[in-house]
Amino acid sequence: MAEVKTQEFQRASVKALADAKLQSLLGRSMGTFDGARQEAIEELTPQRWEEMREKGRAIKRHTLDNLDYYLELLYDRVTQNGGQVHFARDAQEARNIVGQIARSRGLKLAIKSKSMVSEEMSLNPYLEEMGVEPVETDLGEYIIQLAQETPFHIIAPAMHKTKEDVSQLFEEKIQRPNLKNIEEMAGAAREVLREKLVNADMGITGANFLVAETGTLVLVTNEGNGRFCTSVPRVLVSITGMEKLIPSLEDLGVFMRLLPRAATGQRITSYVTHVSGPRRSDDEDGPEEFHLVIVDNGRSRLLQDPDLRESLYCIRCGACLNICPVYHKVGGHAYGWVYPGPIGAVVSPVMVGLNKAKDLPHASSLCGACRDVCPIKINIPRMLLKLRTQLAESSDSTQRKVSIGEKLMAKGYRRLMSSPKLLSLTHRLGRLAQRPLLRKGLIRTIPFPPFSRWTRSRDLPPLASKPFRQIWAEKLGKER
Amino acid sequence: MAELLGTSKESFIASVRQSLGRTGGEPDERYAPLQEDLSSLEERASNTLERLKKDRGRLVEELARVAELQGWKVCQAANSEATLDYIRELLQETKAKRVVRSDQEIFRQVPVDELLEGMGAQVQVMAREQSGDGEFDPASAELGITGVDYAIAETGTAVLLPRKGISRLVSLLPPVHLALVRPTEVLESLDDLYLLRRLEYHRNGGDMGSYMNFITGPSRTADIEQTLVIGAHGPRETHMVILAQE
Repeated sequence: MAEVKTQEFQRASVKALADAKLQSLLGRSMGTFDGARQEAIEELTPQRWEEMREKGRAIKRHTLDNLDYYLELLYDRVTQNGGQVHFARDAQEARNIVGQIARSRGLKLAIKSKSMVSEEMSLNPYLEEMGVEPVETDLGEYIIQLAQETPFHIIAPAMHKTKEDVSQLFEEKIQRPNLKNIEEMAGAAREVLREKLVNADMGITGANFLVAETGTLVLVTNEGNGRFCTSVPRVLVSITGMEKLIPSLEDLGVFMRLLPRAATGQRITSYVTHVSGPRRSDDEDGPEEFHLVIVDNGRSRLLQDPDLRESLYCIRCGACLNICPVYHKVGGHAYGWVYPGPIGAVVSPVMVGLNKAKDLPHASSLCGACRDVCPIKINIPRMLLKLRTQLAESSDSTQRKVSIGEKLMAKGYRRLMSSPKLLSLTHRLGRLAQRPLLRKGLIRTIPFPPFSRWTRSRDLPPLASKPFRQIWAEKLGKER
Repeated sequence: MAELLGTSKESFIASVRQSLGRTGGEPDERYAPLQEDLSSLEERASNTLERLKKDRGRLVEELARVAELQGWKVCQAANSEATLDYIRELLQETKAKRVVRSDQEIFRQVPVDELLEGMGAQVQVMAREQSGDGEFDPASAELGITGVDYAIAETGTAVLLPRKGISRLVSLLPPVHLALVRPTEVLESLDDLYLLRRLEYHRNGGDMGSYMNFITGPSRTADIEQTLVIGAHGPRETHMVILAQE
């Protein structure tokens, strides 16, 4: 499994916040995505968009609620198409399957189109070790492969790289010096990758959708690398999470309207590729073998919990990342595993273990923007609360997030707020006590714990000179 | 015989079933689309075709409009002469010397070979049988010409179904792709397309061919600083000629 660094969320966030270059990049790019999404919805009309969202959600709910049935159907139909379906319970099993296919057929060069599941599996290092060269062919993925990093964003993996970073990387790693503009860089990658694309003997892809009825795998792409991966190599291996299923071919009409608009604000992407098995005997080209690897790797735990099941409706468009105020500031790497942002804060803790990702359910202001933009209307804030409750109520003290001090404070607060006299007294005392702390009208630091920790990254507005209750009594209350 | 790699199907699905608390069998609620029988599919498809026929003029206009928005260069040819003129100009502009095409019926209607060879270009059908004499390496072609199986007005999409005579690579390898569209191939929406393909699947007893490609304009990437670059791994230039109504 991919290295889990979810424990380090706090440290990684502080580091990201202090990184001026990253902050400037995030500031520039995040709005662009959501602006495009909104325009695309306007163009379709908001009414139609709502209709598609409702349909999409209903289809996903039905499929996930009956996933065993649809897995069975998919298996039959892919097999009928001449493909082979393999099942993997976890990352290691999935790696072994891909490895065995490569080894037994003597495959040497694997071209990959974007696959988040292959990131879960850390597939690339595994293939390298066994002598297969894996080449990421999506430009963003290629950049982070050269940089030996992990994706920063679900659909823009190299979003955190400036063109200067890429220029330097291309000079060092592929000996293409002095590339000045972005077009030249894309051109250089195109040239280097073309040779791989036409010579590979193994294609590895993910899947955006799997149609159970016809045994069809659907890839939604813009660059064309996905078409190469599914056309040139003699063996095609597609790796996918088991939640990607939809029942009918006609359901694609809904999802093809939802995904491109939510992801990049496009009416449709440059390419949508539908693979129904290996080449037929009189086809001119296409893979001789088609393998579909269906991966669980922690998804049954999400499936099992009726409160968390809807996290599996996700179609990985990235819209919730683009709108999230927390993602805007800390970026994708701080989340510490494959899936960042609000949806990552739900799925990662369950997939890697809640005790290893205690901070993620708290990495949200619960503002609800993620739920509002989600094309499948996934209620992310509700699930984050559920995970917070699980943490707070856990009998395992190592999982418990709430300290004794915090509990005492909550008790004190309750006492305070239920007594008007006590509240009034505290307010008066507080106003006096805060005086030495005021700097330009704000409390910047409280020099003793536990408050010092809170003010380390925040400012506290001071208590008002006149409390609301007094204003109400003097003025507002009388106006009624 | 399929090789067994990983977990067996039975055990994997049983564990999913257990997670769901289901006992197996049919879905809890019937899913209407999958209950539909062939005759109902056929009826819906024939209604669709009827509607398309009635609206053809409007749909061709809409296809041209949306395709242009999506990055195609679109020509609505007034007659067969106009089609050939457009191709002639395209060859001059691109200075293509090597052209690949697929082997489709439309090329009997549009004689591109004579035209292009007359202008000094080499034309090669990209197919296993034809590639033997190897006039040139298809990977070095500068222009690829295909027909389409469908074109979708809603999205400005050319739909290709690679099969015998139609390589997957004609519209992918060369930097310039030209798609020839007949008005009868124009569909209104994605829903029309998926309905027709679904009918095809069931009418053929569970087969609709190995591949279906949607092509909508040139290949593109915005993976560096969200800056759009046209021309990634696929063609950087895409042309669509919509032939005149017969």
